[in-house]
Amino acid sequence: MDKMLRNKKAIAFFMLPAFLLFTLVLFVPIVQSVYYSFCEYSVLKPPKYIGLDNYKAILSDKTFVIALKNSMFFLVFSCVSQLILGLFYAALLTNIEKGRNLFKNIIYLPCVLSSAALGLLWMFIFSPQLGINQLLEKIGIEGPMWLSDTKGAIILPMWVIAFVALWQYVGQSMMLYMAQISGISKSLMEASYIDGCTKPMTFRYVTLPLIKPMVATAMSLNAIGSLKFFDLIFNMTEGGPNHKTEVLATHLYQQGFKYSKYGYASAIGVVLLILCLAVTLFINKVVKTEQYEM
Amino acid sequence: MSSSKNEVAALDPSSKKKVTPIQVLIYVFLSVIAITYLLPLLWVFNVSFKSKWEIFSAPFSLPKEITFGNYTFAWNKAHLGQATLNSFIVCVVALILGMLIGSMAAFGISRLKWKGSKLAMTYFLTGMMIPIHCVLIPLFTRFAKITQFMNDQGFENFHLTNSLTSLVLPYLTFSLPITIFIMEGFFSSMPNELIECACMEGANIFQIFFKICLPLGRTGLFVTGLMTFIGNWNELLLAMVFISDETKKTLPVSLSKFVGPYNTNYTQMFAAIMIAVIPTIIVYCAFSNKIVDGLTAGAVKG
Repeated sequence: MDKMLRNKKAIAFFMLPAFLLFTLVLFVPIVQSVYYSFCEYSVLKPPKYIGLDNYKAILSDKTFVIALKNSMFFLVFSCVSQLILGLFYAALLTNIEKGRNLFKNIIYLPCVLSSAALGLLWMFIFSPQLGINQLLEKIGIEGPMWLSDTKGAIILPMWVIAFVALWQYVGQSMMLYMAQISGISKSLMEASYIDGCTKPMTFRYVTLPLIKPMVATAMSLNAIGSLKFFDLIFNMTEGGPNHKTEVLATHLYQQGFKYSKYGYASAIGVVLLILCLAVTLFINKVVKTEQYEM
Repeated sequence: MSSSKNEVAALDPSSKKKVTPIQVLIYVFLSVIAITYLLPLLWVFNVSFKSKWEIFSAPFSLPKEITFGNYTFAWNKAHLGQATLNSFIVCVVALILGMLIGSMAAFGISRLKWKGSKLAMTYFLTGMMIPIHCVLIPLFTRFAKITQFMNDQGFENFHLTNSLTSLVLPYLTFSLPITIFIMEGFFSSMPNELIECACMEGANIFQIFFKICLPLGRTGLFVTGLMTFIGNWNELLLAMVFISDETKKTLPVSLSKFVGPYNTNYTQMFAAIMIAVIPTIIVYCAFSNKIVDGLTAGAVKG
């Protein structure tokens, strides 16, 4: 049997398809992307090495700075809001018996729906003449321009999109926390009640420390998800008004495929990649502490 | 102190039927939340049956007469029917190949004995942190070059750009890390005796994989298959960049092209949105518990 498991041909048979695909379609393009980011490259011009010029250019590009700021806003907002709201929903749902599955499934539903379709749906709900503004008109209030207002440091459309994203993806965090909470043994809870803890105290001193490892997992998922954010923004505002709601992914798409600046877009892609890796490492370093026995 | 007594009582199964005021509050609150989740979908569903003018004259009432004209228009004229079929083909092919290739690699890593299997695992796992945006440009230009090259060689009908294959390849590859990760867990938890036993009976390594390990890893395959399929079904960016031919677009792309601020027939666009989400909602309602738990299991491990 040992001989069979060490058979070189069998190993090659099992490993090669995945290895080749992964290398050719994922790894080599990443390396190429890094190389292109140092090149001047477009449809007509083959790649020509220009050093750090692309990176210098993106730093002085106003839209890129806005996109980076917006991506950071989504990153922080989604990490914080999904942590709080996800935990809150999970705490509520673990406290009821009847209808738990129903509510759980309803809140999770948007996670499996196409965010392209949901983005369009919300675009209509927040559009100037339809949806919410029609409702507000009935009670005599003139609704704001939800998706094209440009006042303030973080403009209104950004908040709208951030809340839609929270609405869509909070089910994911909630489910992760629920899975972890239901894994905590009942005897621990009972022990804390006998020791005189109230329910909120038990939640604070027993449940929270025990679900800390899951916070790291859920947060990294949120963080990467919000950095990759594309569909919702593309379909709700397309980066407008006047590039004010652009994020890294939409900016990359614009530069790469509307203006065909491949080298420039690759530089944005590299920034995105570095951010993804850095944020994941950071969250896992900071949040993940020792695992408790449950 | 009295409240803690209540809590101990709440744990007692005999007192379960009592609904405390706090629980009533929780139910009311959850119902409000549930409404915010369902109302937008119901509103769009309602409007999608209305005529072009009714949306402004009577936006919130039920439609006067139910017509499917908006749906037939979106299905035929906006190519959503074709797009649904394309999406289905791409997702099924990517799903089957991805699960086969991914679980083969997972088996190779977890069960076969060779140096560097740990390293291979790390290599595949880094793929989970990589956003698809970073490979867009190199893949796009590479596919164009390969097509050009093959056409020069005399294969006139060879198309890698603008074909469904150009979507299957990256979708399949990006599903590999999670598939390998989850299936590796399943395969390494299988008892050694099982394989020894099969070996004794004269099974070769392929029979062990296809007839024993793969069927036993059904749960894992279900979870990964679900994640892969839903992710690919909803993917927009890659499909938008790689496909420009109207008849080869996938559902999210056709939808985004048809629905937009420049189109003025709102009710048809609402019908289009419904066409895009209804299949998922039906499947979700039918298997919701399995889907939700499966996706969570996958994410927990991921």
